Amino acid sequence: MPLAPRPEITATRSDPVTLEILKNALESLADEMALIILRSAYSPIVRDSMDYSTAIFDAEGRLVAQGLTNPIHLGSFPRVMTRLLETFGATIAEGDGFLVNDPYAAGGMHLPDIFFIRPVFQAGQRVGFTASLVHHTDIGGLAPGSMALNAEEIHQEGLRIPLVRLFEAGRPNAAVFDMLRANSRMPGEVMGDLRAQISACDTVARSFAALVAKHGAAFPALIDELHDYAERLVRQRIAEIPDGVMRAVDYIDGLGESGARIDFHVAITVKGSEITFDWEGTSDQVAGAINCPITTTWSLAYAALRNALGPGIPNCEGYMRPIHLRAPEGSIVNPRDGAACAARGVIAYRMLDTCFAAFGPLMPGLVPAGGEGGPTAITFSGRQGPRQVQWLVTDGILGSWGGRRDHDGVEGISSPGANLSNQPIELMEARLPLRVESYGFAPNSGGAGRRRGGLAMQRTYVIEAETASMTLRSDRRRNLPLAMDGGLPGSPSVTTLQHADGRCSLLPTMNMGPRPLQRGDRVMHIAAGGAGYGDPLTRPPEAVAEDCRDGLLDAGHARTVYGVVLAADGAPDPLATDALRRDLSRLEPGELAMRQQAHFLETIGAGPGIGDRP
Amino acid sequence: MTITYRLGADIGGTFTDVVLRGNDETIHQCKVSSTPADYSLGILNGAQELLSRVGADPAQVSEIIHATTVATNTVLEGKGAKTALVTTRGFRDVVEIGRLRVPQLYDLNYVKPVPLALRRHRYEVSERMLADGSVLVPLAEAELTTIAAEIRAAGIEAVAISFLHSYANPDHEARAFALLAEALGPDIYLTRSTEVLPEIREYERTSTVVVNAYLGPVVKRYLLSLERRLASAGLAAPLSIVQSSGGAMSARAAAEIPAAIIESGPAAGVIAAANLGRAAGYGEIITFDMGGTTAKAAMIEGGEPTRTTEYEVGAGINLSSKLVKGGGHSVKMPFIDVSEIGAGGGSIVRLDAGGALRVGPDSAGSSPGPACYDLGGEDPTFTDAAVVLGYLNPEHLAGGAVALNAAKARDALQARVAGPAGLTLDQAASGVYAIAAATMMRAVKAVSTYRGRDPRDFALFAFGGNGPLVAVQVAELLDMGRVVVPPSPGVFSALGLLHSQTRRELTRTVYRPLAALTPEALQHGLDALREGVARALADEGCAPDAMRFQIEADLRYVGQAYELTVPVAAELPEGILDALGAAFHGEHARTYGHASDEDAVELVNLRLIGLRADSGDRTFRAPPLGTPARGTHHRKVHFAALGARVATPVLTRADLAGGRRAGPLIVEEYDSTTVVPPGWGAELDAFTNIVITKEA
Repeated sequence: MPLAPRPEITATRSDPVTLEILKNALESLADEMALIILRSAYSPIVRDSMDYSTAIFDAEGRLVAQGLTNPIHLGSFPRVMTRLLETFGATIAEGDGFLVNDPYAAGGMHLPDIFFIRPVFQAGQRVGFTASLVHHTDIGGLAPGSMALNAEEIHQEGLRIPLVRLFEAGRPNAAVFDMLRANSRMPGEVMGDLRAQISACDTVARSFAALVAKHGAAFPALIDELHDYAERLVRQRIAEIPDGVMRAVDYIDGLGESGARIDFHVAITVKGSEITFDWEGTSDQVAGAINCPITTTWSLAYAALRNALGPGIPNCEGYMRPIHLRAPEGSIVNPRDGAACAARGVIAYRMLDTCFAAFGPLMPGLVPAGGEGGPTAITFSGRQGPRQVQWLVTDGILGSWGGRRDHDGVEGISSPGANLSNQPIELMEARLPLRVESYGFAPNSGGAGRRRGGLAMQRTYVIEAETASMTLRSDRRRNLPLAMDGGLPGSPSVTTLQHADGRCSLLPTMNMGPRPLQRGDRVMHIAAGGAGYGDPLTRPPEAVAEDCRDGLLDAGHARTVYGVVLAADGAPDPLATDALRRDLSRLEPGELAMRQQAHFLETIGAGPGIGDRP
Repeated sequence: MTITYRLGADIGGTFTDVVLRGNDETIHQCKVSSTPADYSLGILNGAQELLSRVGADPAQVSEIIHATTVATNTVLEGKGAKTALVTTRGFRDVVEIGRLRVPQLYDLNYVKPVPLALRRHRYEVSERMLADGSVLVPLAEAELTTIAAEIRAAGIEAVAISFLHSYANPDHEARAFALLAEALGPDIYLTRSTEVLPEIREYERTSTVVVNAYLGPVVKRYLLSLERRLASAGLAAPLSIVQSSGGAMSARAAAEIPAAIIESGPAAGVIAAANLGRAAGYGEIITFDMGGTTAKAAMIEGGEPTRTTEYEVGAGINLSSKLVKGGGHSVKMPFIDVSEIGAGGGSIVRLDAGGALRVGPDSAGSSPGPACYDLGGEDPTFTDAAVVLGYLNPEHLAGGAVALNAAKARDALQARVAGPAGLTLDQAASGVYAIAAATMMRAVKAVSTYRGRDPRDFALFAFGGNGPLVAVQVAELLDMGRVVVPPSPGVFSALGLLHSQTRRELTRTVYRPLAALTPEALQHGLDALREGVARALADEGCAPDAMRFQIEADLRYVGQAYELTVPVAAELPEGILDALGAAFHGEHARTYGHASDEDAVELVNLRLIGLRADSGDRTFRAPPLGTPARGTHHRKVHFAALGARVATPVLTRADLAGGRRAGPLIVEEYDSTTVVPPGWGAELDAFTNIVITKEA
């Protein structure tokens, strides 16, 4: 039974008008910072992935507003702020500015994510901070982009920045700027992005100081009330979830070409208005760059819960109070200091999938069946022109949600873990020696269900340079997106390489090092498709017929997986459908999923052994 | 000499505003009920009423300018044409995939908008251009014959053509257009991307032309029927439509590019403010237009409204600065940059689960409307709060046309807000008013501070039915010193129509670093654009010597995702490329607070705007002032600054002709009510604007 919220939480309440106005003002300041960075940053990852965040803090370093950019950053600021105050505390002066990226010593995310923090003073008093964090294009390390999968320790991943003063009482610290420039393959981009970060913090610091001045002595109490308000909202919604433990297990196929399966076990305990995420049983850290330092694991707890509770909870620290985390030290979701972690994004997406799977049964109608599982990252690079200029592009392929209790899944949409975008094909082709041959939905993909999963996204590239190299980080070929409530799992991800001479091969889901390519090579990727929700044999035949009319499914899929027989005019044949569905309902469990997979593989012309190791 | 008139007509959901301006400088206006079954009827009713009022013959009307919501409504209501898309093989899903982003985080039950051309009606044809305009795969003309047959069989009403890299070489698109036009005949509306938006970025270009096709038959039908109806009543003058950019184009051109008139109505109000501002000496303006369901803000700098090409139709509220879009269909054409907030007079007020007071975004609409309308509405609204506070006349609005029941307003606010929150009625109403103002403030900030502009450098122009009611409160929040309430604030947008100037524009994608360009190459590109724009203006009946051209460049640092638009000197000197670079660095520093002279700048698009300079006198003239109120009337009005009710004079605009009056004041007019709180004072300027400034 849902518990009533704790009485002390509902009791105090200051003026609801001032509170709403202050909340609006703070949120609009954080959004204003976010907009400055989005529009003026140079990093393609800011542009396409909104992989950056902005935030405002009170005098004690508590988060009071965060720009709505990237859920994977929800937990990023509080730990860094704690370390900042521990390290510099009373010595923080007007005109100071701090820089940091260390995920272990300083509570950061991974090395490419550089934080800039500016204290805000009003009439000589520190009244708060503005801060921004941007995923920078390159900060050194084994490979361009600073996210080499084959790094085995953090020291191979680039420049590790402890908490340092980038500005001291208004004076820039030239040594730190020089150090940054010297350690990046793309110093122009890094400096441009850093300028955007500093400018966002400074622009909003002035407005923030004015806001504090306007509220005068009442400001700290108002901020306390804002935290309490957010806490009240989130506790009320947690209390609506029945008490108990929700468990789920999900997987990553493995690290690189031959890594062992990585298991994610989560137990989410709800007691009254408190919630705990426990990752006991999750696999150990690995000798590769996909370990996920605890700050990101915190982010995912916040992101999973906020997604399940829906929009409307303000982004201030108060909402975090009833949320707790346990992650065994040395596991892939809480690696020890020194573990390589630059490519931990894939772990973050899988944690989100695992949490949704756990929430599903107890929170019907609130979370979808499994989606594609986060973006596949494909990087092409090489040198071109008489001066052999380095070119590089990282492309993300994603866009399928699983079915929901009340709606089908979606195709052509960002993951709920990060509000990602795709790159315009025409801009890519105008700049790079490659061509995109097709981009769209893969027919007969996704998982069947009363509410079907979103179809898989497919993209094919043709290399137009004499030589190039490619890295690929994908997943979900053997361990498919998880279905809910009797639906079928999503479809597997597939990557093929067709050489100019016609030879064709199936590529492993991840390659640890670069793969050489030549002119005319054709790389085709189909990401995983969203899983289904509910028994496919209960999907209205007319809905199946509509998908066939749109060419999303063919008549064979309708018959094999849904038991829907279509007449010559494309309309369902009710009698034949009833009979076939009766037959299919007697199949062994798992048989329908196998037939679904076989039909999908036949559609794309791949063999049935695709889930096996190449 | 016979007097001639120009006629403006602005159609809203409830009312159609019609304005008549004579070359004798008289202005006449009226409000008639809109006629949703056939909106043209409302225009005719209004026109006939005004003509009979001034005793003029329809033949004396020399020009008709019209703002219409027909395009927006067609998308919002899903009532456009059954639309097909013909596109490059391998890419039929591009228009449905869009840019992946969702407009709001944490909404796992989000449903994407239904594509305007369903997948089953998206046809792929073998052909392929490369980015440099060379042909990789020739157009398979035979496939188009099959596609044409399928389009006919499917009962398609409109077809959009969009091929990859067509901005670089439109040959395939043009050929496919010709073949399909021949095969499909005149009854199927046909449009191609390079005629609508010849710019790089395949999704945005394709989406824009699909929207164009979807709107085409509906808008064309509407404009033809309007023209016929007007002509049959003797109103045979040329008919122009206001575009989203604020410029006008002939009805015939609008029928070909209906995607250009989506935000016709909001643009008219901004154009009116710019024009009045120029005449009255306010060059720097933020407009604030608040109606029943939304509030809109836009910025005018140096007399020119700021424009944008980032727009989505069908996405509901358009907050221009919104971080993330994706809720609608991209239309990458010039729009006056209007930022919208879902709060207006009808916005419903409630307490949320955490105990905070919220205003909107749900609206009580016009039926049942605010509780005080006494039409069965039980939810308190912003209007109810304004009635409780004494800002609005407690008995009626619109000079008696709408009766109000103040007791209903009090009951609703007491039951839903004041009681549960433990507030007095005045505290609750005052809170609603303050929150509404704070919400509006976000729209104003979105067009100013978010773009690096300080609102204190601008005058706030308040209009729309509710704008003047809350404008001073908004100004106070942003420390803005001056609020201007123009004459006839409720029909101000319709007045703006008479100031709209014929405008046609074309864009060309360059997408090269400035360092790789020569002034000659730039000139060559501009010459091609000029030819096209001049042809469009000539089609509008503009003589060559009346054509005026403005050039704009979309620039960014290499690597950035967003461009900034800067004007280019009309004559190209040798140093133009350096000047462009310098102008961009400056604009970047102004907008984002940082810039780097060392970084490479690239030119993405060149745009040429053609204006018609001989469209007669478009200068703003003040309408005649009404009559002063008979005797001084007072009302007990609540002001938060005083924490109490005070007897407040209720005046008409004409009462201010005697000189400056200190607040608190209420100025009641037929179409709007202006609140001047204590600490502010009001006076009239030479254009009968109410100018409200802080008391010294």
